[in-house]
Parts: sequence; C-alpha cells; structure tokens
Amino acid sequence: MRRLLLTGRAAAACAALLCLAAAPADSPVNVPEPEGLYAGPPKGYTPPTLKGAAVVDADAVAALMAGPDKPVLLDVAAPDRKPSNFPEGRLWLPVHPSIPGAVWMPEAGAEPLAPAREALFYARVAALTGSDTAKPIVVFCHVECWGSWNAAKRLVRKGYTGVRWFPQGVEGWQEKHETANLKVDPDWKAGAEPQAGR
Amino acid sequence: MTHRIGQTFSTLALGLVLATTALSGPLAGAARAAGASDTDQERAARWQEIAKSIFGDRQIAPTDSLVKIEAPARALDAALVPITLTMPNDGQIKAVSLIIDDNPAPYAAKFEFGPAADPAELKLRVRVNNYTDMHAVVETTDGKLYEAKQFVKASGGCSAPMGMSDEEAMKGMGDMRMKFAETAAGKPVEATLMIRHPNFSGMQMNQVTRDYTPARYIDKVTVSAGDRKVFTMTGDISIASNPVINFALKPDGKPIQVAASDNQGGQWQHSFTAPSPTN
Repeated sequence: MRRLLLTGRAAAACAALLCLAAAPADSPVNVPEPEGLYAGPPKGYTPPTLKGAAVVDADAVAALMAGPDKPVLLDVAAPDRKPSNFPEGRLWLPVHPSIPGAVWMPEAGAEPLAPAREALFYARVAALTGSDTAKPIVVFCHVECWGSWNAAKRLVRKGYTGVRWFPQGVEGWQEKHETANLKVDPDWKAGAEPQAGR
Repeated sequence: MTHRIGQTFSTLALGLVLATTALSGPLAGAARAAGASDTDQERAARWQEIAKSIFGDRQIAPTDSLVKIEAPARALDAALVPITLTMPNDGQIKAVSLIIDDNPAPYAAKFEFGPAADPAELKLRVRVNNYTDMHAVVETTDGKLYEAKQFVKASGGCSAPMGMSDEEAMKGMGDMRMKFAETAAGKPVEATLMIRHPNFSGMQMNQVTRDYTPARYIDKVTVSAGDRKVFTMTGDISIASNPVINFALKPDGKPIQVAASDNQGGQWQHSFTAPSPTN
C-alpha cells in the first residue's frame, strides 16, 4: 500500500509538470475527442480540442472580459458533496470560488442529462446571451473535468458560434486572478428542486 | 515520465486527480497583488461567521507570539498539506483549534493539552479544498482566545481519491507507530504518532463505480504519558489520510498510551515505551 501510494504521488508530480508544459491543453496523454458527449467518469484527462469551439487559457479569458463584447461566463462545476453521514451540528459551510461574474449551473455538462435539465440549460444560455448565437461564451469547471467539455459541446451543437472552452477552469483562473464565491444560478436551482437528491 | 504514469490504471487515476490539485505555475506570485480586494473582504466576513459558530461571542485577539502557523504558501499535494503550529509559552496554552476557512468542513482539529504536554510545536497534515486562510486559535489557561492566520494555496484536497480501492485503503486500519527523537535528559521528548487510517472525507468519488465512499475519519485521539494526559485531539474530514501528528511530551517513565476512535465506531489502543526521563 505504501509503495503504491508513493508511486502514485511520484506520478502526480510528473503529471503536474507535464500539465504545465502542455498548457493550455492540460493532458499529458493524447485524449481524442469523443464522437458525441462524453459519458465516462467526470474527472479525467480531457482532449486538447473541441471542434466548433476555441480552446482558451486564463489570459484569453481575462482579455475577453476586459474587451468590448463581454462574454457570458458559464461555470458547470459540481458542488461540494456533503457526506451522507456527516455529523449533525458539525460546521458545514461549502464555498464555490469561481471567476467573478460567472453564472454557476452545476453539472450542466453531465451525460446523460435529464431532458428537462437540458432544456433549462439551453433556455438559460439563450437568456444570458440575449439569443445572440455569436455571443462569446466561456465554459469551464475544474481542470481535468469533462463537465465543461460536454457543456461547451452542447452549445456548439445548438448552433452557438462564439463558444470558448476553458479547460484549466477555476484552478487555472485563480493562479493569476481574484475569485468570487458563487451561489448556484437561481433558475437552475429552482429547476432542480422537483428532482430527488439535489 | 509518461511511461511511469501509464504503469497502472490506479496510478494513472491518482496522478490525474492529484495533477488537478497540484497545478502550479511560475506566475503564482502575481496573485493577490491587488491589496484589500473584494476577495479579502469576503474572506474576513467568512472568518467572522466561522468564529462565531465555533466560539460564540467570545473575543478573539490577534497574536504573533502565542501561536504561529507555518504552512507551505503553495502545497504540492492538496490532500497532504503539512502544518506546523508553534506555541512557545509552555504552561499557558490550554487548547489550540485549527480552522481551514474555505474547506467545506472548516473546523479541522482541536487539541486540548494535559499536564504531560509541551505544546511548543505541533505538526499535522491536512486536506485543503480551496485557496484559503487558515486560522489557529489558542485558548490560554486564563480562558482567553488568540488567533493567528496563514494563507495557503491548494485546491481539491477534500475530494482527491486515494488512488486505490477502499478495501486496500482500509487495510491495517488502526495500526499505530510512534517514534521518539533523541533528547537530553529532563527535556521534553519529541514524538511522532502515525495512525493507519484512510480518513475518508465522504467527498471522494470512486471513479469506476461513481459512488462516494462514506466519511470514515478519526474523530478522537487521546495520548497519555502514564496517568497524565498529553493531549486529546478532536478530528474531522480535513485531516489527511494516514494521520501523522508530531508533538512534544514530558514522559515520566511510564508507557505512552494512545486511544483512537473513528466516526463509524472503530476503536484502537496502543501502548508505547517512552524514553527514560533520566540518563
């Protein structure tokens, strides 16, 4: 067990180094784009590309935000999960640091996604972009998280032409920029309430 | 490098998840250059909320002498961040609490010291989930509270899987070792307690089954030298797997007793031979 752990940590250190060298495509291994949406484990190496979308780094996101055509920032990261057996009365105060001004729609990149949730996602994006399909949209979650890849893919398929996928996500952003703690988008939250487990 | 990463799936899985948390860059120093920003105010407000929840309306005065926190400004592994608490005023410190403000469960640990303790230096390893302030709050023997603060850059530590099956991670659970540093006669002895325990946070997803491993963590450790208490630690999901605690004690020749329990009813006791107080 000890040996395995150490090997794992050594590998992690290597992966972290390679990760830097390969920025903004953060994968030390070459992951091809899946045909459709990705239905595998949500955490893992992601492809360096997304057909129909631009791949951006934190500098590019900051430049977009400072430019004249402000992007819609979509954070699709999953919220911290409270352990089911977490003791009553013990302090539980999850925070979600993200890019200031982003709209947080947790797990909008899940696959499969319930049809009602998918419809709500498109409705929210239409509202946020004012139905301008050329509007810059930056989609992100965490580094090595497929959620943002899928959510960006959904928007490309829906006909949005200004989609930017930011694979380094909040980890890449906070390296150089201030974060703000986000609350879940109220409409996204309200839409989730009839479903169990959220 | 790459062929090492590819050795086994579990190694790969751990590597990729930890790479997430270990992402670092040459530009890190540029962060937080903006002075008292919105983020700073947000952090201060959060600390107020946490402090009130833990300590109620008690006053907490800042200190730069009664307790100090040392932590790497940027952690290599967010699931294993080494923390050193320095409390030089032996005899004045009743307890110390470690709070990791932006962890979902911020109250990481509390140590209550007994007569056989020398709280001079205490080390432990924790999980850090977001870039965060950490606070150490000491309670002095006259009942007053003092706080010290340290900012730490690490993220994802609470949800990082251990890179092995749950069964493998639980092998030998409750096994303990204790090492003692060489010391001069009559001086406090520096000890290192190691407990084998996965300390599952309840936020770690099995990447294959996509189930969350239920939280299973050491919630109490009591160390005694003979009949005299060294400390009692109350722990939480923010303590790293396989807890390691460095501390100092004043042995009197009797065995060092350790009793540990976890939140799922696990109980373990071990006895260690203390270094002789003379010669």
